Amino acid sequence: MKALGETGGSQAGRLAGEPEASAPRRRAWTTMTARAAAVNAGKTVRFMSRALGRGGGTTLPGHLADRIDPGLVAALARALPNGCVLITGTNGKTTTTRIMAGAARASGLEVITNPEGSNMLSGIATSLLVRANRLGILEVPASAIGIFEVDEGALPAAIETLSPRLVVITNLFRDQLDRYFEVDFIAHLWQRALSKVGPSTTVVLNADDPQVAYLGEGTSARVMYFGVEDRQWARPALEHAADSRRCPECSHDLLYELSFYAHLGHYACKECGWRRPDPRFAAWKVQLQGVEGSESHVSTPAGDRLLRLPLPGLYNACNALAAAAAASCLGVDPDLVQVAAQATMSAFGRFERVSVGGKQAVLLLVKNPTGFNESLRLVLSASGQRYLLLGLNSNGPDGRDVSWIWDVEFEACAGRIQYLAVSGHRASDLALRLKYAGVRDPGGRPEPASLAAPAVEDIVATFFTAIEQTPRGETLYVLASYTALWTLRRELVQRGYLAPFFRQAEVAR
Amino acid sequence: MKLVLGYLYPSVMSQYGDRGNVLTIQKRCQWRGIDVEVDHLELGDRVDPDRVDLLLVGGGADTHQRLVCDDLLHVKGDGIRHAVEDGAAAFAVCAGYQLWGHYYKTATGDELPGLGVFPAHTVHRAAQTGTKLDTITKAGSVRAVGNLVVRWGSRILVGFENHGGRTYLEGGARPFGRVLAGSGNNSEDGWEGCVHKNAIGTYMHGPAFPKNPALADHLIKTALTRRYGSVTLDRLDDAREISAQHRALQQATAKSGRWRRLWSDGVG
Repeated sequence: MKALGETGGSQAGRLAGEPEASAPRRRAWTTMTARAAAVNAGKTVRFMSRALGRGGGTTLPGHLADRIDPGLVAALARALPNGCVLITGTNGKTTTTRIMAGAARASGLEVITNPEGSNMLSGIATSLLVRANRLGILEVPASAIGIFEVDEGALPAAIETLSPRLVVITNLFRDQLDRYFEVDFIAHLWQRALSKVGPSTTVVLNADDPQVAYLGEGTSARVMYFGVEDRQWARPALEHAADSRRCPECSHDLLYELSFYAHLGHYACKECGWRRPDPRFAAWKVQLQGVEGSESHVSTPAGDRLLRLPLPGLYNACNALAAAAAASCLGVDPDLVQVAAQATMSAFGRFERVSVGGKQAVLLLVKNPTGFNESLRLVLSASGQRYLLLGLNSNGPDGRDVSWIWDVEFEACAGRIQYLAVSGHRASDLALRLKYAGVRDPGGRPEPASLAAPAVEDIVATFFTAIEQTPRGETLYVLASYTALWTLRRELVQRGYLAPFFRQAEVAR
Repeated sequence: MKLVLGYLYPSVMSQYGDRGNVLTIQKRCQWRGIDVEVDHLELGDRVDPDRVDLLLVGGGADTHQRLVCDDLLHVKGDGIRHAVEDGAAAFAVCAGYQLWGHYYKTATGDELPGLGVFPAHTVHRAAQTGTKLDTITKAGSVRAVGNLVVRWGSRILVGFENHGGRTYLEGGARPFGRVLAGSGNNSEDGWEGCVHKNAIGTYMHGPAFPKNPALADHLIKTALTRRYGSVTLDRLDDAREISAQHRALQQATAKSGRWRRLWSDGVG
């Protein structure tokens, strides 16, 4: 019997003549049709989104395609000849993904990756479907591999859908509590997701973060740890922003022998004896070269290596270390990680340098107390005078709850900032926080003139005023939350000072 | 004059910026020439009711609740109860508020006994609905998350709430305020928080004090009055506090469209 209205008439007719095989084959055929329809719909939306100048079209196509054919993403991922890698963590996942992708490319692999910010399952789906042909079949060379950044909350679904060969977890900090609720809840979700993966998957974990390191205990996956062994960057006490001071095994106090930043360090439980695992990838000597970058001596199973990075701060050195550990699990030589690290362009708001009329600005995305503290530390470590613009919005991507700025150590800025301006929808919250932090103008006025004036919410206007105030040869540091930075960046792109980031990602590819 | 502030569980119960409340009390006293001493009272430390003038406790993770509960009952309980009954000021936020009630029924249905300062009890929404919290979406569906606007006497207070528990006041309990926007105690009866003597329990994070300076001053005043008799606080220039409060109120009452839509589509 030929079903009326069946699409692709002649094919369906042929199927109808073979009653035995008819049902499964027709199902296979409708699956194929749905898959092709899903891919084509997604591609059309992406093309239109770009043609209309509505941004990169990096998520909606995948979202739509997934609605049409829910099995699409899993099927496309299965077709990747070298499988895929997932990278997650509160901070550093974008940078780690970039370095790893660069290293994999240098080793001759064809890397499929998701552009900055599109790290939900729909973003990964988009990056896969643009590589599929009109029949919905992935068209990639035998050397293709997927290297994807994944949102913390999306990791369980991503693991289930994509069956990764490698999962990298950089760290777990408090971030956007209105969206993720509690740090422990995310840790619990990760633990459950990793308890379901088998020994064919490798998990690369940060030994210095107790909650991340503990994930290695309850999984049958292969586990590889990375960590910092250099004692010179240890601080005397845990910071207030430390989220995890308790033993994940028995809930008693963790004793820290060394503390690097937030709750990262060398720890042991005095009660049950659970302690930081020894990392196979260890940074024995880290030289931080101010805002210029860092140089780490790293011991790896393949011997000692030097890892140079043009991105500043201990946290970026840790990202490079994570990338080196992960790359070596893929069989990529750590020397290629060194090459990739040196060529790493900064991602959206990760120390992006902008030159405006001969003046320099650096854009830093701040999302949570730990990241904000590290960015401030970086600004304060720079030589010369300090020019600072802070931006805070409370839209969904920023976190609607702005209370976390009270856990940022603005007190460290008191008396050390030459010029300071606040902006964004919640500029008045920043101004209030700075008042209680005792941030004053070093010039002797009771407080910076820019703060005495009513807060200017428009970050673009505030930026151009601030850059005017910044002398040649000095740098204006812009620390802003997601949508505040996005707004500023879009304007800088429109005025030709920066390239749009989805094009940047293509250049990198 | 000197104010002794007992900051309860600073390392496990200060997840939502509630440290800002401590900073606010310190600064607002300093600016008036009042000395402040902050006692960090961690797990295992006792509360001396004759020493502390003001007790502050913030919100924490559910996983720490059992630890804090044990400590409240067996270590700090007597000290806190004595201080509060003697008229000391106290401000307990979120998890702190919940554990100062009669009991707290957790997401998995276990009943944690509370301190009993407030005639109220709390039940986690997941226990009410039988929801298993195994995904972010499900965890989100049972939580009250968003801006919180409360009428407190003749004043309007603004903050942010983020809680899974629903609190119900028992007979004779005095609420802290009336909910104007948000959920408050349970999103059913329109009440927010609970008051017993000079102790206030509330769901208001934000943190509550910086943007609501009248509330901070109220607690400073009641704390000092117990020790020094009637006190008058010098007026401070609160222009920046009020401007932040107004902006937060605008945000709390406006529905932001674009970014929220984009976010639920997964952009970002």
